Amino acid sequence: MNTWSYIIRRLLYTIPIILGVCLIIFAIFNLSGYDPAQLLLGKHASAKQIAEVRHELGLDRPLVEQYLDIVKSAFTFDFGRSWATKQQIIEMIKEGAIPSLTLTLPAFLISTTLSILLAIVVSFFRGKAIDRALVIISVSLMSIPSLAYILFFQKFFAYEMGWFEISGYEHGFPYFVPYIILPVIIMVVLNLGPDLRYFRTVILDDIYQDYVRTARAKGLSEKAVLLKHVLKNSLIPIITYVIIQIPFLILGTLLLESFFSIPGLGGLTVKAVFDNDFPVIKAMTILSAMGYIIFTVITDILYTVVDPRVRLK
Amino acid sequence: MKSRNLVSFLLMSLLAVTISCTKKVDLNEKVLNLAVTSEIKGMDPIYSNDKYSSNEVGRVYEGLLEYHYLKRPYTLVPNLAESLPEVSEDGLTYTFKIKKGVLFHDDKAFEGGKGRELVAEDFVYSIKRLADPKLQGLGWWLLSGKIKGLDAWRDKNAEKDKVDYSEEVEGLRALDKYTLQFKLTKQFPQFLYSLAMPFTFAVAKEVVDHYGKEFLNHPVGTGPFMLGEFKQTAKKFSYTRNPKFRKKLFPSEASDEFKHMLKYAGKPVPFVDRIEINVVKEDQPRWLNFLKGRVDYIGIPKDNFEAAVTPGKGLDKQFEEKGVELSISPSLDVTYTAFNHDLKLLQNRDLRRALALAYDVKEFNKLFYNGTALPAQSVIPPGIAGYMPDYVSPYRNRDLAKAKELLAKAGYPDGKGLPEITYDCPSSSTSRQIGELFKKQMAEIGVNIKVVQNSWPELQKKITKRQVMLYGIAWGADYPDAENFLQLLYGPNKSPGANGSGYDNPEFNKLFAKASIMQDSPERTAIYEELNKMAAEEVPWIYGVHRQSYLIKHSWLKNYMTTDFEAGQAQYLDVDLDQKKKMQDKL
Repeated sequence: MNTWSYIIRRLLYTIPIILGVCLIIFAIFNLSGYDPAQLLLGKHASAKQIAEVRHELGLDRPLVEQYLDIVKSAFTFDFGRSWATKQQIIEMIKEGAIPSLTLTLPAFLISTTLSILLAIVVSFFRGKAIDRALVIISVSLMSIPSLAYILFFQKFFAYEMGWFEISGYEHGFPYFVPYIILPVIIMVVLNLGPDLRYFRTVILDDIYQDYVRTARAKGLSEKAVLLKHVLKNSLIPIITYVIIQIPFLILGTLLLESFFSIPGLGGLTVKAVFDNDFPVIKAMTILSAMGYIIFTVITDILYTVVDPRVRLK
Repeated sequence: MKSRNLVSFLLMSLLAVTISCTKKVDLNEKVLNLAVTSEIKGMDPIYSNDKYSSNEVGRVYEGLLEYHYLKRPYTLVPNLAESLPEVSEDGLTYTFKIKKGVLFHDDKAFEGGKGRELVAEDFVYSIKRLADPKLQGLGWWLLSGKIKGLDAWRDKNAEKDKVDYSEEVEGLRALDKYTLQFKLTKQFPQFLYSLAMPFTFAVAKEVVDHYGKEFLNHPVGTGPFMLGEFKQTAKKFSYTRNPKFRKKLFPSEASDEFKHMLKYAGKPVPFVDRIEINVVKEDQPRWLNFLKGRVDYIGIPKDNFEAAVTPGKGLDKQFEEKGVELSISPSLDVTYTAFNHDLKLLQNRDLRRALALAYDVKEFNKLFYNGTALPAQSVIPPGIAGYMPDYVSPYRNRDLAKAKELLAKAGYPDGKGLPEITYDCPSSSTSRQIGELFKKQMAEIGVNIKVVQNSWPELQKKITKRQVMLYGIAWGADYPDAENFLQLLYGPNKSPGANGSGYDNPEFNKLFAKASIMQDSPERTAIYEELNKMAAEEVPWIYGVHRQSYLIKHSWLKNYMTTDFEAGQAQYLDVDLDQKKKMQDKL
């Protein structure tokens, strides 16, 4: 099967998955028993007003119609307007996605590159002092809660030392740069521990395989064994690990966005949950599911690139 | 270059670029730097039902009336109205003359892009918008059933595809270009407060028509500041001074506590050129930005309270040296634990009284408000007529012996035979802690409490359907009148109205109905006091506290005071640039 027909077939498979996602979020919303009209009207709502708002929001229509509306919005990307802010949801998502990406993308690239490099180093020196030291450091980094990093780095580096902005965000390059450096550093520090440990395990798994012993027996240097043979064979789990994270980069990171006042999608989603802003929750859930599916397909295709033995079926 | 040197060079360069990019405090322009703790929902007056949105709306839009900036108790004064209205003898007709020559901000929605003059018809339109059934304005409760013909207009238009604004409403008319008349269905003295609330502020029809559904992101009013386009997802936005703002002067009268602000008397407002709003939800960055001088004032975060305020309620010396000033003022609010009066168990007054006497408000105040709040004796907070400063409720101060006695009288000696009582609260950690304290205190008289945490929507739903036994909540004033608090216990207001506990006492209802249509007078205050005492002795709720706001501000910010009604406040604030330059080195 050629790659294009595989992609088309996989994308067609996504249709029932999207329908299922729509059904699940529709069911969760309707079974929760919350009355959004009551929540939107606040403390002075009368029964009549609640009924009027329910009518305006279309909540008094048959359930099938309401479900079909969700399905339609998933395929047209027209998610309507937010109940809480009355703004076009797709515009809100577009506005939030860029600040989220300006924070998560550099952090992701730096932490992934750095942890792969360090994993190669520790694998090269496996069992030696440098390996043990880096493993201890990575475990220590993982053991400290993210909030502690944020509070300390913000107070020390931004406030006491004055090296970075305490919080805030300016749209457009390069204006956002001073605002994202500190949160990017924190995110790299947070990711480094788990990434390094995972990549190290993957590489060490391969190091003890027969083909590595064969390569060494042929007299290849340790460097060549690691870079040419081991790393190449470790790429499939590494690609899976890395690419599956991409959709979550778009969603941003709530704590960092909140503490550094970055107007990203993490805060938008959480606010929507607190406001019971169903159209926004629905849009974010559908887009996340789609992102997950698309990047799974990309992962599968990349497998064939890095390992010719893999066939698309 | 060796690789180690290269890495050092790159790191140093990155640091240098970062430091040079770090924003410096602007000392050449009068900028008010404010930090708000929540996102702004939008800039449409009819949806401004939370303090964050109404404060922002109040910078751009204006109403007929406003609260006198330097007077307490809160006093209404004309804003876009030429004077206070003429009120007919029967108290049903209010006639306003509006100011001439007031201009809307320039905007492309107007012919030639120039803001036109505000006329009485703009208020007719703006109030009809609030009543528009298709728009579902969140302030409709304020006028519902109050203006002759407006409810009928709303009902009729609910059935139509498009709302007809041209149809006349008997109680809402522009008699001429500058005369506006309201006819009420019944006497309602609180009506004037409605006209100082952002819900009823003036918008221009052509702007609403031009921007359609995006109107809430394009604020165009007559106010002292202009915003341009507003993005709701933004964490930062900036207002500029309205160059065509009418001549409006700083007040020349003040209550005693604000006399020192009269240095500005007679000067034209606003004083600052720009307002920068930053949405900073977390306490630490807000606090650090304040300490750096990038925010002009903030409420003191709970975790920083002990560092900033001394046990004697003064400001810590290190902050005083930086020119920081402390402002303490009571808030018009009350916290309470409500009983569900639908339940036969809780209709037992002796049981309610027993629980109230077992509750230690002092400990609650100490743990959750650093001892800064005022224990509430009843419903009405200080600062408004009906509050009795010397009144002490017989069921307020903790008395375990008397509580046990009442519990026995209620039929449950030492709690025997009393079922487990659930206490519902929101899901935050503070609410959980409050619940646990309540549980511990009730256990001391043998009452078994189970704390149930809920998401906010879940709690609201349970209260509305009265599926709770006890629940902890608070109420903040919509306007400075005791009616706004007492209506929480008025039987006909049962949920989904504001009376979530379902308390329904015919005697209370009768008195409340009488007072609610009386003009402000000693007679009305006497009835409010009677109702307040009745609410204290009947114990429909266990009263918590009236909170006090503790704010700190920098010395360069002039004329700042804490207020429960902040909309429009920014026009009276000033930034002393010389003082700011002088203090920067100390920060």
